[in-house]
Amino acid sequence: MKHLRLGVLAALFTAVAAVLTAADAKLMIALMPKAKGNAYFITVKAGAEKAAKELNVELLFDGPTDSNAAKQNEIVENWITLGVDVIAVAAENKEGLSTALRKAQKAGTKVITYDADALPDARTYFVNQATPEGIAYGLTDEAARLMNGEGEFAVITATLTAGNQREWVKLIEARLKSTYPKLKLIAVRPSDDLKDKAQSEATALMSANPNLKLLMAICTPGTPGAAEAVKQAGKAGQVKVIGLGLPSENRRYVHDGVTESVMLWNTADLGYLTIYAADALAKDQLKAGATSFKAGALGTFEIKGDNILLGKPVIFNKANIDQFEF
Amino acid sequence: MKRHFRELSVTATLLLVLLGMAVFAPAFFQPQPLLSLVTREAPTLIVACGMALVIICRQIDISVGSQFSVCGIGAGLLAARGWPLPLVIGAAVGLGAVLGAINGWLVAGLRLPSIVVTLATMVTLRQGLNLGQQGAFVNLPDKVQWFGLNQSAGQWVLVLCSLAVLATLGLALRHWPAGRQVYAVGSNAEAARLAGIRPQWVTFLVFVLLGALTGLAAIMNVVQSPQVQPLAGAGLELKVIAAVVVGGVAIAGGRGNLWGAFAGLLLLACVSPALTHLHIEAYWEKAIQGAIILLAVVADGVRQRRSGP
Repeated sequence: MKHLRLGVLAALFTAVAAVLTAADAKLMIALMPKAKGNAYFITVKAGAEKAAKELNVELLFDGPTDSNAAKQNEIVENWITLGVDVIAVAAENKEGLSTALRKAQKAGTKVITYDADALPDARTYFVNQATPEGIAYGLTDEAARLMNGEGEFAVITATLTAGNQREWVKLIEARLKSTYPKLKLIAVRPSDDLKDKAQSEATALMSANPNLKLLMAICTPGTPGAAEAVKQAGKAGQVKVIGLGLPSENRRYVHDGVTESVMLWNTADLGYLTIYAADALAKDQLKAGATSFKAGALGTFEIKGDNILLGKPVIFNKANIDQFEF
Repeated sequence: MKRHFRELSVTATLLLVLLGMAVFAPAFFQPQPLLSLVTREAPTLIVACGMALVIICRQIDISVGSQFSVCGIGAGLLAARGWPLPLVIGAAVGLGAVLGAINGWLVAGLRLPSIVVTLATMVTLRQGLNLGQQGAFVNLPDKVQWFGLNQSAGQWVLVLCSLAVLATLGLALRHWPAGRQVYAVGSNAEAARLAGIRPQWVTFLVFVLLGALTGLAAIMNVVQSPQVQPLAGAGLELKVIAAVVVGGVAIAGGRGNLWGAFAGLLLLACVSPALTHLHIEAYWEKAIQGAIILLAVVADGVRQRRSGP
């Protein structure tokens, strides 16, 4: 009887050890969105899963429910304890998260960022979905085109503290100064990533500024929110709407002529490229000073300094929006 | 006068703000934008009414934002499958009542602290929704927005509906025996029990009512646009609790009324559009709302110390 028990124990032990070594052999990559309920990050995740399958790595996906900088720190701490191989994050707050990321690096975990960067010393590479200039200038150029180079417009952001949003606003202002002096940015309002709040903000913006010619949303829920406000105000065409966004969430407004154009990079590709970069980093295949990087089926991407560039954003409008499913 | 000091002072502040807007930014009062803004707050008012009852009963429910999202997405999915609208409305209210009943049972039946119970259900419902819906918007069929009416008719229906709920519950709370029981349980559950009231039963029912109202609010939000965002309702709990507290409902239970909560909600909802109209930077929005809440809590504290233990 006693021998039997010992035997069972030994068998169990071997089984556990086998499972553990098997888990060890598989690379573990942890991917964090700014907010995991956000459709944008869901498509990022889809691309990441595809890459993880191709590379045969284990993918963890976790993040705050809403845009919450403190919660991101907590999750990074958990991942350090768990001993993941690579952490890939979209930072809600640049400075705030960097401390936790440095700690992860000290513990031997590789860190890369995607979508929204942390401080350069807190990560090895940043997978840049489009340079801040690409986005800010792209949106500003589109606004200038629609407004014939003059008039008032307003910006709707996610939150006033989000690092990438602040940077984009600064670059938009810089572009106005250098290229479109007659274009006037009259207000920047936060939407807390809520479509409904974006709608209320847009409504108030329009009634407070009768000369407003365009609303520009630089967060994805803001674009349909602003469009609904314009539609309810009966100002389609008079106040134009542009912004970042998924085609599926804006299709109706684009067809109705409320939203002029929606801009986005291919989010699934962003997730795919991030996981390929994370994998290469863990296997030491991504050397300092490299100028290009090959990511599976997507081919070769340019590396500029410590930024891996995804490429130019895509503009969706009435002419092409129906060609995109996501 | 003294008894209703808090409600009156909030109402006075609100009127002062509106007066200030009339002088400095009369464009604030253009009918169409104002109606759109008020319609956006109609669902919030419904939830605030339910929340006021729960807080008067000396409980709290911080899961309303998640309940709101779950009911909204549930209703959206049913509508997208072609269910007739009356059935969808019924389903949303019913689902809300069930979610409220779960909270109510855990709090009243198992006598667990409501802040912990609803914290747990808040997280569980939100994560469950994320898992199921993966953040994707639900696109609705054409006839759902404004119940298939024209826009301004739809907006008036929603606004009047929320005011009807406010009036009914406000009067019921004051004049019906059931309403008085909520105050009795909130002030002193043991005394209420000795007086022949069943405190656990009253507590259970206020949670069910809040859940049903949250379901109603969710469908009232769904019909305002052609698509539903799963994140809709995130932060709603803070918004309504703040409105209720600013409106003079004591967080320790037993005191306050719905008119105060109504005034508190309007005052807080005014802040953001008022800043836009006055061309003041958005950074001030949360700071001003926070200051209003702090002021209300301090006023309560001072009053309580004056009236003695």
